[in-house]
Amino acid sequence: MGGLIQLSNFPKLIPYVEMFRNGLIITIMLSLCTVVLGAVLGVVLALMRLSDLRPFRALGLDKYGHLRGEGFLTALSKFNPLNFLATTYVEILRSTPVIVQIAVIYYGIFGIIELPTFSLFGITKFHRFFPGVVALGMNSAAYLCEIIRSGIQSIDGGQTEAARSLGLSQTQTMRFVVLPQAIRNILPAIANEFVVIIKESAVTYTIGVQDIMAIVQSVKGATYLIMEPLLVATAMYFCLCFPTSKIIAYFERRMSRGSKR
Amino acid sequence: MAARDDILIRVTDLKKHYNKGAIRALDGVTVDINRGDVIVVIGPSGSGKSTFLRSLNLMEEPTGGSIVFDGVDITKKKIPNQQGNLVKLDIDKHRRKMGMVFQHFNLFPHMTVLENMTLAPIQVRGIPAAEAEAKAMALLERVGLADRADAYPIQLSGGQKQRVAIVRALAMEPEVMLFDEPTSALDPEMVGEVLEVMKQLAHEGMTMVVVTHEMGFAREVGNRVLFMADGLLLEEGTPEEIFGSPRHPRLQDFLSKVL
Repeated sequence: MGGLIQLSNFPKLIPYVEMFRNGLIITIMLSLCTVVLGAVLGVVLALMRLSDLRPFRALGLDKYGHLRGEGFLTALSKFNPLNFLATTYVEILRSTPVIVQIAVIYYGIFGIIELPTFSLFGITKFHRFFPGVVALGMNSAAYLCEIIRSGIQSIDGGQTEAARSLGLSQTQTMRFVVLPQAIRNILPAIANEFVVIIKESAVTYTIGVQDIMAIVQSVKGATYLIMEPLLVATAMYFCLCFPTSKIIAYFERRMSRGSKR
Repeated sequence: MAARDDILIRVTDLKKHYNKGAIRALDGVTVDINRGDVIVVIGPSGSGKSTFLRSLNLMEEPTGGSIVFDGVDITKKKIPNQQGNLVKLDIDKHRRKMGMVFQHFNLFPHMTVLENMTLAPIQVRGIPAAEAEAKAMALLERVGLADRADAYPIQLSGGQKQRVAIVRALAMEPEVMLFDEPTSALDPEMVGEVLEVMKQLAHEGMTMVVVTHEMGFAREVGNRVLFMADGLLLEEGTPEEIFGSPRHPRLQDFLSKVL
């Protein structure tokens, strides 16, 4: 044992190749499920933040129907509960460590909700995998929400005006005019978030998800080697993240070609 | 002059106030727009002419007054239906009958010219794609841009973009076309081609409301000219009256600067 890396130690890892392969599959599945959950939740949060629901709007008007100036009623009339909830969610999730969030969700929420304990893909336990996805997805949603919101807000207001003047509803305007342009703009940031998810998924070993990092711990315990399995894990994470960002960069270039020359 | 029952849009005491009335973009404008009218709105910048135009299809929400379009007061949130019950006003239903052309074109950059033109007919009016495309091509033919149907907006010149924006609005077969300074963002050599399309449209009998600084167009194509300043409609008349014998000192002052 010790910090020294010895080439002769690597053959000792050969019996554990299958475990590393399983860990790789778990990491990939974990990341993909997280992205889907994060994206869905992120879109919902972004829509909440962009909503214009103000239940006390009428309080901001005086008896002639004019807007009041300053004051408590004016502030109350601008209160948007959906926006408030989403903003609170985003700020809390962005201001606490992922590892804490995972622990809170695993021990807190899924300590109360009983999950079925079947084996997933034959290599990990569903009742550990699922809370990991939920925690990572909830965390990722907070970041994706902000990416999506800024992307939507970056689209020129003239686009919305043109669409609405043609008779398109608010939903149609979103779907056909604003979102396609916004998605193209935010693709680099989303790609970055995807890579971040792959890397952050490593902390789910703390709740017993059998991902790459958990395999490193197992191999360490069995062989008394630490640096060698860590190097294998490093190489695996790199081989996941680097091509992913390159592939998305390629699609980004292809998409932008449509609108340019 | 059009008959009384030919009024398409009746605007009464239209107001747009900000900050408790400290800023009055529109301060009580009353005007009737008849079918077939080509109304040109002129006035110094900040006069409220754009706000007036943009209020007509509720791009700006007025704070007072009424706009009766095709017999329906579109400034009301709820209107009576045929049974006399109050129902929520569906502004989209009215907007599709009002085409709008913007200063900065506002074409959808991620769609081709043809897609720009067929989006609303297909999605809003439910016209089959093939039919919408055939109609769009016929319109493009009319403005001499049929060969650019598959181009993206970024590949077009300013004048071409604005012509596409005009036919995009026409594809919805509107009852009235609203033009918000359609030539202000164009290079001088491209102004003519856009005005030509608008002139053609006017001659075909389209009801038009045009905010513009092109006095030549106002004089030649308009049948009524509105002069606005400080959110008020100060003078209204035929082009001959407005340009030949202006009465209001503000109008005389304005014309002396722009002519």
